[in-house]
Amino acid sequence: MQREVGTLPLAPALRARLVAAGFQTAQELLETGPCGLSKEIGISKEEALEVLQLVRQECQGDATRSAGGSGATRKCTALELLEEEQTQGFIITFCSALDNILGGGVQLTKITEICGAPGVGKTQLCFFYNTLTTAMIMDVLLPLPCIPQQKRCLRNHLKALESFSLESILSHIYYFRCRDYTELLAQVYLLPDFLAEHSKVRLVVIDGIAFPFRHDFEDLSLRTRLLNGLAQQLIITANDHRAAVVLTNQMTTRIGQNQSTLVPALGESWGHAATVRLIFHWDESQRLATLYKSPSQKESTIPYCITPHGFRDVQPPAVTQEAEGTEMNPRKRPRREEEK
Amino acid sequence: MVVLRAGLCPGLGEEMLHLLRANGIRTVVDFVSSDLEDVAQKCSLSYKALVAVRRVLLAQFSAFPANGADLYEELKSTTAILPTGIPSLDQLLDSGLYTGEVTELMGAPGSGKTQVCLGIAATMSLSLKHRVLFLDSTGGLTASRLYQMLQARVEDEEEQATLQRIQVVRVFDIYEMLSALQELRDCLSQQVLSSVGPLKIVIIDSVSAVIYPLLGGKQSEGLAIMMQLARELKSLAREFSLTVVVTNQVTRDSSTGPLKPALGRSWSFVPSTRVLLESKEATWEKASTQRVASLAKSPRQPTGIQVELNIGDVDVQEPSPVTPT
Repeated sequence: MQREVGTLPLAPALRARLVAAGFQTAQELLETGPCGLSKEIGISKEEALEVLQLVRQECQGDATRSAGGSGATRKCTALELLEEEQTQGFIITFCSALDNILGGGVQLTKITEICGAPGVGKTQLCFFYNTLTTAMIMDVLLPLPCIPQQKRCLRNHLKALESFSLESILSHIYYFRCRDYTELLAQVYLLPDFLAEHSKVRLVVIDGIAFPFRHDFEDLSLRTRLLNGLAQQLIITANDHRAAVVLTNQMTTRIGQNQSTLVPALGESWGHAATVRLIFHWDESQRLATLYKSPSQKESTIPYCITPHGFRDVQPPAVTQEAEGTEMNPRKRPRREEEK
Repeated sequence: MVVLRAGLCPGLGEEMLHLLRANGIRTVVDFVSSDLEDVAQKCSLSYKALVAVRRVLLAQFSAFPANGADLYEELKSTTAILPTGIPSLDQLLDSGLYTGEVTELMGAPGSGKTQVCLGIAATMSLSLKHRVLFLDSTGGLTASRLYQMLQARVEDEEEQATLQRIQVVRVFDIYEMLSALQELRDCLSQQVLSSVGPLKIVIIDSVSAVIYPLLGGKQSEGLAIMMQLARELKSLAREFSLTVVVTNQVTRDSSTGPLKPALGRSWSFVPSTRVLLESKEATWEKASTQRVASLAKSPRQPTGIQVELNIGDVDVQEPSPVTPT
């Protein structure tokens, strides 16, 4: 009841008026009543009533929570959290090395970000998560939606093995195409409703989150603000609906004193948005994946390769007939007649 | 700026209130700072009554000055220094986290802020048997990592009890965070005695994640809310002798400028101690678990001291309790 007026979730102009009129705590507001309030501040009686209802709701929420009720907050002890995590599943790939460095796979309720230079395999990995089979997943296989950014991006969702067919996989993929940042933001804010309707969805993939924010954005502080709001909304969604969120990001060059380095795009503050960060890069002709940021795993690097079947571990070197073709660009997979 | 209301103190009736309002005296500050003789004449009220009301209002609403010696004695008896469990960090912080203060850990992504916070939570719960309140706003708290840290030190039954003492609240919004802090305040002021242990530490990871969506653009109410949060944290720390640990991001002015703490100048006055965590290597291509912590702001130690720590095995140590001298 002693909640300060400045901390209540009211419109800023209204809050400023209340403080200027001399109200300090929520208790005082409730005691004044709607008529007195409307007279003091100069708002209509209906508005005053709305304000008081909101205040009462907040205070009641606080009171039940402190009295031991669960309320709407996500409150638990670390032991309960541990039990939850141990029963949660992961989203795995066929690349066991990648799953190992991630600690089992992509974790639910967390945001995983994949950064890399063009052509290194980010979208391939997204496709892959989308079309995964379930055999190895410890837990329920559930439909996954994702919000694609550029051309492709398929929502995949995992179904039980008995109906494992192309149509069934593709029918569980929900595809949204967002052309600019407004559409992307709108889609992300509508995500909780979508996930509530399609409760089996477990993965949201946003392929290319950097793209709409990198060009045509004059006001950089607005960009930071929007990106941070987006990140918070994604983590709320991931948490409430027990879904995993996978984002892909681009790389940019930071020019230092004597050298330039490749760093993930969207700036320093975006680095804090993702809980887990994977950076894909090249080392000569070998693709490497580095786990750069993770709350529970150590930093490490593994090699991987992109085959016609998708994302895979690097096989032990075998004699290949491509020894002559080494002048070809290793970053591009050669087009061959046989595709399957 | 409390509004004058009937019944605020004995002697302040409805009629007096109306007369005062008619003359532009609406809040306690207006009343107490006005010339009472003048007011008595204009409102045709009795001077004695006004003086009596003023005395009561002053007693109720003003702050009392304290003697420096008394303050010192009080601080000596209420301040505790809590060890973090990482000896090099303790050295940096002048033997540990002081209660009554806000300490900030800042660093780039992947620099180890969450790991250090988890280590501190584990130490508090395990060695000191204190309750810990962990407000998580980034989703970075993984209980399995906490469990991993404890496994090295202790057997099964103790692990469970230790984990139960750490309370985790996930707040992804500034208002949720303020609600959670208000709830904490209500809990502590009612002196709810818990069988689990005293609560002496609040860890907030991270505070910039909830404030950043409000700052910038063309609106300034973000700053107001940020300072509300700052005030709440500092008053909680001081009134209930808690230590508050917050984590913050770092930003750059331009793409080549030096790293500086996020949230700007206004926030830089809030924590009394600031520690910057950095990776030893400059780029992400060489991964390691070595980190360097440097002191950026402190009321007790010279700034610029650096120590090394290894977040790979942020081990929970058995510290000896330190009392202030």
